[in-house]
Amino acid sequence: MNSPTTARAADHSFEAIYEQYFPLLAQIAVCKFHVPDADAEALVHDVLMGYLRKSEDIVELRPWLIGAICYASRHYWRLNGRTMGAEAEMMGDRVDPASLRILDSLPDQLAAREALECLKPRYREILHMRYFEGCTVAEVASRLGVKTKYAQKLITKCLRRAERLYSQKGRAR
Amino acid sequence: MRKHGKVIPLRLRRPTPQRLAQFGDAARQLQQERDTAANVVERLLRDTPRERWHELAPRPELQSCGALERLGNFATQALGRDPRQALSAAQLAVAVAEGLPPGLYQPVVVAQLCALAYKDLGKALLYLGRFDEALKALDQAEALLAPHGALMHDVAIVQLVRAATLQEVHRYEEAFAVLASAKKIFRNHSDAKRVFICGIAEGVLLHRLRRYREARETYLILLAGTSNSADHESIAALHLAIGYCSVELTDFNVAEEHLSRAIEMFHALGQPLQAAKAELGRGRMFVRRGDLDRGIAHLYPIRADFLRNSLTEEAGLCGLEIVEAHLVRGSAAQAEALAREIVGEFMAASLNRRAISALGYLAEAIAARKVSRELVTDVREYILSLRTSPEREFTFR
Repeated sequence: MNSPTTARAADHSFEAIYEQYFPLLAQIAVCKFHVPDADAEALVHDVLMGYLRKSEDIVELRPWLIGAICYASRHYWRLNGRTMGAEAEMMGDRVDPASLRILDSLPDQLAAREALECLKPRYREILHMRYFEGCTVAEVASRLGVKTKYAQKLITKCLRRAERLYSQKGRAR
Repeated sequence: MRKHGKVIPLRLRRPTPQRLAQFGDAARQLQQERDTAANVVERLLRDTPRERWHELAPRPELQSCGALERLGNFATQALGRDPRQALSAAQLAVAVAEGLPPGLYQPVVVAQLCALAYKDLGKALLYLGRFDEALKALDQAEALLAPHGALMHDVAIVQLVRAATLQEVHRYEEAFAVLASAKKIFRNHSDAKRVFICGIAEGVLLHRLRRYREARETYLILLAGTSNSADHESIAALHLAIGYCSVELTDFNVAEEHLSRAIEMFHALGQPLQAAKAELGRGRMFVRRGDLDRGIAHLYPIRADFLRNSLTEEAGLCGLEIVEAHLVRGSAAQAEALAREIVGEFMAASLNRRAISALGYLAEAIAARKVSRELVTDVREYILSLRTSPEREFTFR
């Protein structure tokens, strides 16, 4: 049997996990799957409640939670009558790790914005289209007048650059 | 929705204090329930005759997530020992889960609890060979999870049991499809352990269908994926499975290589009985290769080893390998004597009466000199299948 002190520590660690992962999971639901804010928060809450009972069984928590929120988000749209495009379905299966790294490493909005502002205008425009306007890779490609594969390459390059700048900003702060 | 031209502000979403508090409360409640249920469930089950377990469902001390978890664990542990007891425990868990007071937990948690209780019920029914009822229980489990996209990992856990049930009713293609679906879900949750279990289940299914080459491929892929892992037990088990497939494929060099590796690893792990199972594979290899005397000489000590450790069923399976070797060598009398000896051992150990009947049938067939090598194989495979389906009927080619 756990001592009260151990139990309290465990409760705190659960709450810490909730606070730590809530922003990342909500961001995935909203940015990747375009789930409305309030519903995204409910989905994240469900994912974390589902995790609670299985916490001892989960070895890699972060990818487990990301997998769960991706399934929850796609399910949300199935229930709400929207068929997701093939690309979004694919994204759900294997979430773009580069973008997740960025999302995960956003301790505050300002640093991210500053990082974006330091990017070359073309890079900024690409990330803006992809992550702020919610364009698909194919749509970005069409607007840039390049092939989809090349557009994907550019997006990854921009993300890496933004991530580097963001890290520098983070360290400087 | 995508809104072209409109800038969606990038902002971090923080949990509301209410949600955070709700989660913290749930975590505390679960911990308390687990602590409280630790002794209560076992005591209640011990003090109540099994026929009356269903009457325990309204007991206040069982109305919790912690108690349901204990019941689930109890049912799982009872499966191998006494599937009827597992069934009674699972039925009780279902009754408790369905009768949980409204509002005690959030809907997602209630769905999870009820579905897992039905999953355990399905598993117990599978072990009892009541496959249609098992499938119905699993349907119910999936229906409960269906409204909650956040519980896909639980859906995949149910699917694992479904795949095992489907193969028992010879719906093999569906079993493969369900396993593939479960594997994808586990992979997307980075649940390496269960991805591995799905791979093993696929291999076992292929093996059962006598698709030995594909089974071996499956095991080899798994082995390649685990070569850097520290889980030596799984790696040894894979070497063993590859060895067995290779024996069936008469690919004896590969069989020898993998079985030897398995033996070495099991000894290093301090698991001499697992090593003996790999030695049994080598004995079978000698018999298949036509090296009958060597095979028989190799298998007798392994059989004795199993008997010394009260592993009557393993000893019987090993004995059947020797029976086969005697038959191939034309020593029907020795084969018959050994078959009868195995029947006696099974009866003394009160093993499954269906297994005893199948063995008795084999002994009679040998006595009547109406036996083929294939019949021995059928009896051996039947006894193995009784481990997961103790009520299965014996059908022979």
